[in-house]
Amino acid sequence: MSGLTHQDAERLLYLEAHLLDERRWDEWLDLYTEDAVFWTPAWRNEDEPTASPDTELSLIYYEGRSNLADRVWRLRSGLSVASTPIQRTAHAISNVLVEAATDQAAKVKSSWATHVFNPRRKAQHVFFGRYEHDLRREGDRWRVARKKILLLNDYIPTVVDFYML
Amino acid sequence: MNGPHTLISRGSPPAAGALTAAELSALIDDRPQDGAFRVHRTVFSDPRVFDLEMKHIFESGWVFLGLASQLPRPHDYLTTTVGRQPVVVMRDSEGRLNAFLNSCRHKGAIICPLTSGNRKLHVCSYHGWSYDSAGRNRAIKGRAEGAYGQAFETESHDLASLPRFGEYRGLLFGSLSADVPSLEDYLGDARKLIDLAVDQSNEGLELVPGYVTFTFNGNWKLQLENCSDAYHFTSTHPSYLRVLDRRAASQGSGGAIRSVWDNDRPFESGARGATNGTFSFANGHVLNWSISQPSDAHPLFERIEELTRRFGEARCNWMFGTRNLTLFPNVQLAENASSQLRIIRPLAPDKTEMLTYCMAPIGESAEARRRRIRQYEDFFNPSGMATPDDAVLYEDCQAGHQTPIAEWLQGYSRGAGAASAAPNPLTEGLGIAPQSSVLGGPDLCDESVFHTYYRSWRDRLTRGIERSGTGAAQ
Repeated sequence: MSGLTHQDAERLLYLEAHLLDERRWDEWLDLYTEDAVFWTPAWRNEDEPTASPDTELSLIYYEGRSNLADRVWRLRSGLSVASTPIQRTAHAISNVLVEAATDQAAKVKSSWATHVFNPRRKAQHVFFGRYEHDLRREGDRWRVARKKILLLNDYIPTVVDFYML
Repeated sequence: MNGPHTLISRGSPPAAGALTAAELSALIDDRPQDGAFRVHRTVFSDPRVFDLEMKHIFESGWVFLGLASQLPRPHDYLTTTVGRQPVVVMRDSEGRLNAFLNSCRHKGAIICPLTSGNRKLHVCSYHGWSYDSAGRNRAIKGRAEGAYGQAFETESHDLASLPRFGEYRGLLFGSLSADVPSLEDYLGDARKLIDLAVDQSNEGLELVPGYVTFTFNGNWKLQLENCSDAYHFTSTHPSYLRVLDRRAASQGSGGAIRSVWDNDRPFESGARGATNGTFSFANGHVLNWSISQPSDAHPLFERIEELTRRFGEARCNWMFGTRNLTLFPNVQLAENASSQLRIIRPLAPDKTEMLTYCMAPIGESAEARRRRIRQYEDFFNPSGMATPDDAVLYEDCQAGHQTPIAEWLQGYSRGAGAASAAPNPLTEGLGIAPQSSVLGGPDLCDESVFHTYYRSWRDRLTRGIERSGTGAAQ
């Protein structure tokens, strides 16, 4: 069994982007390992994002895919006014770089921008930053074991949800 | 109304026809003898009102600046705003804290452009004037050769101090006007409620590293009210509460953090042994609270015996309860699902910036800290599962405030029949004498707590208008 190729990495990241944009939430969740870490740091100051989730604040920090399933549940519940309607997104990913890859694990860096349109307010915004995907081979496929989302423009206009990142 | 994502527009277009004190006062329909209290929608949208608020509340009285624990070392500084004015708080070489206008005496440029840092010397990037951490001017570039006139040599070139600066138990406040009561008098018995937060550790309060800033397209008073509003909780946040149910059902198998409300929800009908209510104080400070059995999922639970020993069971229970404290006009200490310090910064009648931190007792265990942070992120962040629903509803309120008819809002009436100025066992236990208390069950959801906001607001604005002889700002 060989390591993750650049093409494998791109395919996985692009697939994730499409699944989020097409609201195929269950397939999106299935990209993640059960123990997946999903992390968006906050910032300490102008230059340094927070680095230690157990002692510093994050925008989002979850250990375990079920936490993401909770977020998906909330989105679909009809019980959250901030999620009604779900905003339209287009994720664009570029600068994909496989930093390390073995048979069983890989680390991939990329840049991202998500264009978000709020059909209720007729307003749009772009969130952008950098991703780090830690991938793990499970059987015949690669899954996301850890995703770090560095949000560079962290001056949040009202709301940012996991699917806009 | 602006779109939600437009750039910040600072200030407002020039207002035609300044409001008189009588016109301003008439925006609050306050008739205690009839049991009536209504607020006119335009207090949230009129640029003339906003200008008056900036001038006579934010720029003429005590506002919160930050925590002393944010500046532990000599030469540490943090920047903030008082109303529209940039301000810097510095600790000098002797360890003394001072607050200054963050503006060079020469041409007015901001001298500390960053949020925080440590510097012995602040050199203005424009013409190179420099100041030490006590605000003293240390050098004027080319002074000897400058052929200055005599008048210049007799002027102070130090940074302008805030006319009033004060600290209560590590909370720093400043005022752009010297004509204010002492900080102790201004805070009054709300100090005892600050104590409940600070006393959770022998070393006091700190802010967890990392801050989150968000804006909403609504008036700042929507945030002021929301913190004290028990009535919205179950209808605005059902998605959050149902997620807690989902997690409780999975018994933590998925790695989710436990909630302080796993065992007892003091805001739900039939809550066991819960007591809910509000305290209203002079100068617009309020507490909205509920007390229940201390939860073992609370980060403080590891110290319950020590706290009980030190402060007694009743006071310890207060520390574990839900306490949403507003210190008028710009800071809220919210201890409920976790613990938040939030600073309200009005940008325009329909735009507000929120600077938010997780506050925590210094020295708690690593596990307690981790749990506190996780509980915080889920509830309080604009990327979490509760605050977004509040912020979107502020914007919906702001949109609704554009209507020119049915102008009197009816959201200030619950609890009016239960409000009392008389002492009760709870106020006596806390050693406080609020102007008004409401005690009830989880369904009372007092709204009379807002009255002190708007009475203080009205009194400050009308007094300001009368003193300045005009309602016009600037």
